[in-house]
Amino acid sequence: MAEKLRLKIITPEKLVFDGEVEELVAPGQMGEFGVLPGHVPFLSVLFPGRLRFKTEESGENTLIIHGGLADVKDDTISILTDQSEDPEEVDVAAARKDAETFQREIDEFQDAEPSQREELDKKLRIARARVGE
Amino acid sequence: MPSLKQITTKIKSVRSTRRIMGAMKLIAAVRLQKAQAALMAYRPYSDAYRDVVLNVAALSESEDHPLLRVPEEKTNLHVLFFTSDRGLCGSFNSALIRNMQHYVGEQKEVSGSIKLSFVGRRGRDYFSRNGVATGKYYTGVNEKNSRKFSEELAVALTEEFRSGESDEIVLAYNHFVSAISQKMTFERLLPLSSQETDDGGAESSSDYIFEPEKEQIIGSILPKYVQVRIERAMNESLTSEHAARMTAMENATSNADEVIAKLTLLFNKTRQAIITTELMDIVNGTEAQRKGGNE
Repeated sequence: MAEKLRLKIITPEKLVFDGEVEELVAPGQMGEFGVLPGHVPFLSVLFPGRLRFKTEESGENTLIIHGGLADVKDDTISILTDQSEDPEEVDVAAARKDAETFQREIDEFQDAEPSQREELDKKLRIARARVGE
Repeated sequence: MPSLKQITTKIKSVRSTRRIMGAMKLIAAVRLQKAQAALMAYRPYSDAYRDVVLNVAALSESEDHPLLRVPEEKTNLHVLFFTSDRGLCGSFNSALIRNMQHYVGEQKEVSGSIKLSFVGRRGRDYFSRNGVATGKYYTGVNEKNSRKFSEELAVALTEEFRSGESDEIVLAYNHFVSAISQKMTFERLLPLSSQETDDGGAESSSDYIFEPEKEQIIGSILPKYVQVRIERAMNESLTSEHAARMTAMENATSNADEVIAKLTLLFNKTRQAIITTELMDIVNGTEAQRKGGNE
């Protein structure tokens, strides 16, 4: 059994990260989950949120991802996401405002189409991930 | 022999054409560079997505999701054909269309009906005149809006497949190999049959954990996968188009150079001929006068 996990974070624009990690915590749709070396094959749909992983060189890392997929197989984790952001480059004040706006919209449009609701829900989650909640 | 004036006019016109083609070449080169970078970044994403989806499909039964449905008979084939909107890109479109025609001819014998949808004006212009059933038609696709277009197309095609209007959907596009080589590819988009993906080594379903349930996962990743594949095809086709245009314009520029060199040579020859004729006139004149004086 391998000691390390190989993590690949891929977006349509670029390969964000490709390297060895010791541990990964990802925002799964059924709740946050952690992956350690030797994990069984696993496929999960991800919500927008914060992805945390530990590497030997840089310690704890955090990335904001806009939803996606996590595929764990043979100690390799592939994270496929539409977009990723560095939490330090995010405008927290603006994100907090966005989060409030989206929350209000969701409350107001209770009878919106399911696809619209989903869209709003996603935006809200992204905003919240940026704030760091 | 043309007059000097005619030749200069011709040289001027070839020069200005050359200048335009040179500019088009530069534009194509810049756009190629950008498109190629975007494509190279997109490939790993779409390849990884395909691996995941094929893996899931291999572990699923075709009844698990409507998009995995394998039709008993190939009856309604739908081909999405990617060409360019504009010309001046060498044999890019004509080669695509020629291959497509061949393919349509082949498929007509096996499939019940065949329908073509188009991304890009050139393909549609050709096939709408040639008695093939045509479906949707998209134009104005570029690097910036390819995501939006592919999302729209994905929804439409997925729905068409789900409803049984089409039993098989194929993407036909130019695969970008390098700046000087593109290869036309026919790629089956739907159905996603698990037989094809049987490359041994697939874990059995019980070993794999799915979160949420497998059916739900398939439901949420398959439509997205269709979109990713279409966007990939768009990117491949756009990059190929720029490459083809760049090559075509480069050839055109060097051809123009050749023509200019030939015309300049002709100009010089003509000028010399005229000078010789004039000299001869003068010499003849003086000779005649001298002879006249002697008498």
